[in-house]
Amino acid sequence: MLLNPKGLLRATLSAASMAALLAASQPAAAQSGDPIRKLTLISRAQAANPQQFQSAELIAQAWRELGLDVEVQGMPRPQQSDAVWYNRDTWDLTMWQMAGRPERSDPDELIYNLFHSSTRESGYNFVGYENLEYDEIAEQQRRTANRAERKVLIDRLQDIVNEDQVYAFLVHPLQTFAFDKTVWDASTTIVQPGLGIKNFWTFSNIAPLGDQKDMILNSSDELNAINPFYISGATDSWITELIWDRMMRIGPDGLAEPWAAKSVEWADDALSVTVTLRDGMMWHDGTPVTTDDVMFSFTAPIKYAPMYKPFVEGITNIEVLDAATVRFDLTEPNAAFETSTLAKVNLAPKHVWEPLLAALSEGESAESILEETRIGSGPFKFNRWASQQEVVLDANADHWAPPKMDRWILRIVLNVEATLGMLRSGELNFLSDYTGDPTLLIEAATADGDIDVVESVDVGFQYLAFNLRRPPFNDTAFRRALSAAINRELIRKAAYNGFAVNANSVVSPALSYWHKAGIADELPTGMDLAKTILADAGYVLEDGKLHYPAGTMETFDK
Amino acid sequence: MVYFLKRFTHMLFVLWTVATILFFMFRTMPGTPLAAFIDNTTTAEQQNALIRQFGLDKSLGEQYWLFLTNLMQGDLGQSFFFKKPVVEVVMEVFPNSVILTLTSLIIAYLFGIVAGAYLAWRRGSWVEGVGIPLVLTTRAAPEFWLGMVFLAIFSFHFGWLPAGGANSSGTDWSSGWARVTSLDYMSHLALPAITLAIYLQGLPLLLMRSNMLNVLQEEFITMARMKGLSTWAIVMRHAARNALLPVATAFALGIGGAVGGNVVVETVFSWPGIGRLLVNAVSASDYPLAQGAFLMITAVLVVMNFIADITYHLLDPRVRVAARG
Repeated sequence: MLLNPKGLLRATLSAASMAALLAASQPAAAQSGDPIRKLTLISRAQAANPQQFQSAELIAQAWRELGLDVEVQGMPRPQQSDAVWYNRDTWDLTMWQMAGRPERSDPDELIYNLFHSSTRESGYNFVGYENLEYDEIAEQQRRTANRAERKVLIDRLQDIVNEDQVYAFLVHPLQTFAFDKTVWDASTTIVQPGLGIKNFWTFSNIAPLGDQKDMILNSSDELNAINPFYISGATDSWITELIWDRMMRIGPDGLAEPWAAKSVEWADDALSVTVTLRDGMMWHDGTPVTTDDVMFSFTAPIKYAPMYKPFVEGITNIEVLDAATVRFDLTEPNAAFETSTLAKVNLAPKHVWEPLLAALSEGESAESILEETRIGSGPFKFNRWASQQEVVLDANADHWAPPKMDRWILRIVLNVEATLGMLRSGELNFLSDYTGDPTLLIEAATADGDIDVVESVDVGFQYLAFNLRRPPFNDTAFRRALSAAINRELIRKAAYNGFAVNANSVVSPALSYWHKAGIADELPTGMDLAKTILADAGYVLEDGKLHYPAGTMETFDK
Repeated sequence: MVYFLKRFTHMLFVLWTVATILFFMFRTMPGTPLAAFIDNTTTAEQQNALIRQFGLDKSLGEQYWLFLTNLMQGDLGQSFFFKKPVVEVVMEVFPNSVILTLTSLIIAYLFGIVAGAYLAWRRGSWVEGVGIPLVLTTRAAPEFWLGMVFLAIFSFHFGWLPAGGANSSGTDWSSGWARVTSLDYMSHLALPAITLAIYLQGLPLLLMRSNMLNVLQEEFITMARMKGLSTWAIVMRHAARNALLPVATAFALGIGGAVGGNVVVETVFSWPGIGRLLVNAVSASDYPLAQGAFLMITAVLVVMNFIADITYHLLDPRVRVAARG
């Protein structure tokens, strides 16, 4: 626990507004400050994300009981992003979510980016959180190579976020996937924490039982690009990670393990790491994978791949030691280097990409290159992509870890209800994207008898974000009260049909090592408690309307 | 000839107007094309690079001028989202849209013409009493509902027809032609085409029926009856031919209208088409793609309108006289 969390936070978070309040020097005798303005809670539109919208409605309802005037405003995603992300001073409250991704298996990406003050202006810290103590520990955990020591720091960070209620966390949804167990051997699926059975390991390992050796899976996203230097849509990344190998991969236990690398050895000072490439690896066009290719893959992003640039920036120098060995020198020790760099950067063939990059004109990046052969060295080879219809990958029999299926066929199916029928009729044999009601899926599976449904907790989470730049959300007590008023159990049951677990941390319980056990229960909640917190902090209820503490005026840039 | 030229100029003017409106409409829409990249775009530097890459750093006037000059050369620009030429993105799915639209229109119009003529002939009978409400009901039924019902029956219950896509998964084709003429393609086409046809049949049917009712009052029909011709010969050979003209116009316009308006059917059946492309483009603020797709639809509509006008002009002397007067 902080020695004096409230005091410290007040000082750091709202120093500016407090100063403004003092300067205003309202008479101390006044019973209450300004009434709190009408608050707008932004959410995705009901049709686009019914769970989120319903959660927002439930939250608004609870807050109205506290004497607040809250309006829920549903809007399409681009508009929501525009309001929240690009105009950071203009909103009050928004529903938001963080999606689960393999690289988020290391807590660093979310722990650091979401709350470190350096990402406040234009990065992930869109709520405008600023806490010097947090910044310091977040940086320190990056430099801590010892896992147990780092775990203590990660726990501490989760505590701070809880104490400050920077977000009002809601739930980690459960993901549901399903497959036809007469086509696929159920014992060969692999669960990756937070990603469920829809992951690289299942795809490379799952074994067909009979003549159907093609996996037919689905996505409701239209694909954007299949490019090793471009992190485009979520579904796109399922494809890129199958075509292009990486030095390491996030294993089923959530930790990075050597993949294209035979070994990964750290120097004692943790400032350099020596990586040895596996023997006999080949690109899909038959040429060998060399250390030159490795060097190229980790240096090209600096100039040509803006989205990968942050992951290689910490490398000061890459030294080719021999035909199979490369040494990376780092600016400072980085505990997340394996996860966020070695397991993230795609190995791309120099002989294909170098000429393409050289031909780019000023201002263009590797993202605008359409390399149609899509040569990688991964366990699957690119076959074709028919727009709005399907992507076909062929198993790479020459890979050192060859898949057991013949082809991996991703169908674009927009109609969620239809996916259930398709799974039963065999038009799909692996349900990899299901956003409908899980009970319907379970009913369909029971009726069919051939279908296995697998649920798992998401790495991602749903939450409500306060804009800490604007009063009254710059007051920790106010945020704690609002968060306490939220009935998460109701949201979990009503909006998510019970297919979710309560959240109170950016580190999902799916990441069992890093998640601080029991943190969801450390947040006391209840309507009465919320009212008590508000009263203790000086907020006053007048004629059913909540007012700021005595002497406080509502001042902020509109 | 003068009439032809006049109509042609008129057509170009309409296209230019639509292109201009589209250009400014998308740029005044809330949201920014950067939002489509938000989850990955973190730094201001990257945002600025994107803005430059998309040409959004230029003034609106400059952007408009560039857009028009490129358009003249048949260049619709580069899609922000797919980073490919718009023409390429659109042409990948355009044939599917045209095939779906034409198939369903032909089914709808063939049925509508015959049924409309028949209902006119049987005016006042119980057939009309049942037929007209039935037509109005099916026409008013939401497409997605109809589509889901068909899926439930024909795909999931009986398993006769596939539930989504334009081809079975992973099938290879020697050419695009071989693909669209294959039985596989047609079996995928069946449900979306019939759903759309049921939605579309109301207009030609009712139009045909009301035209027929007028034509059947005319003297030459009485004459035909007096000659003792069979019912079929009177309805189909004499009356229907005269009642067809407005239906033909509706057909031509229907093509343009339906090419872009199939979003619902395309979504229900996961049919690759221009409607879906358009919805994505708009929600991702992909201005060039949205403009290009809309413009393409407008072009089809305007050209079809033009063709309808010209054929009308050639077929019906009364229109010719009116144009001259």
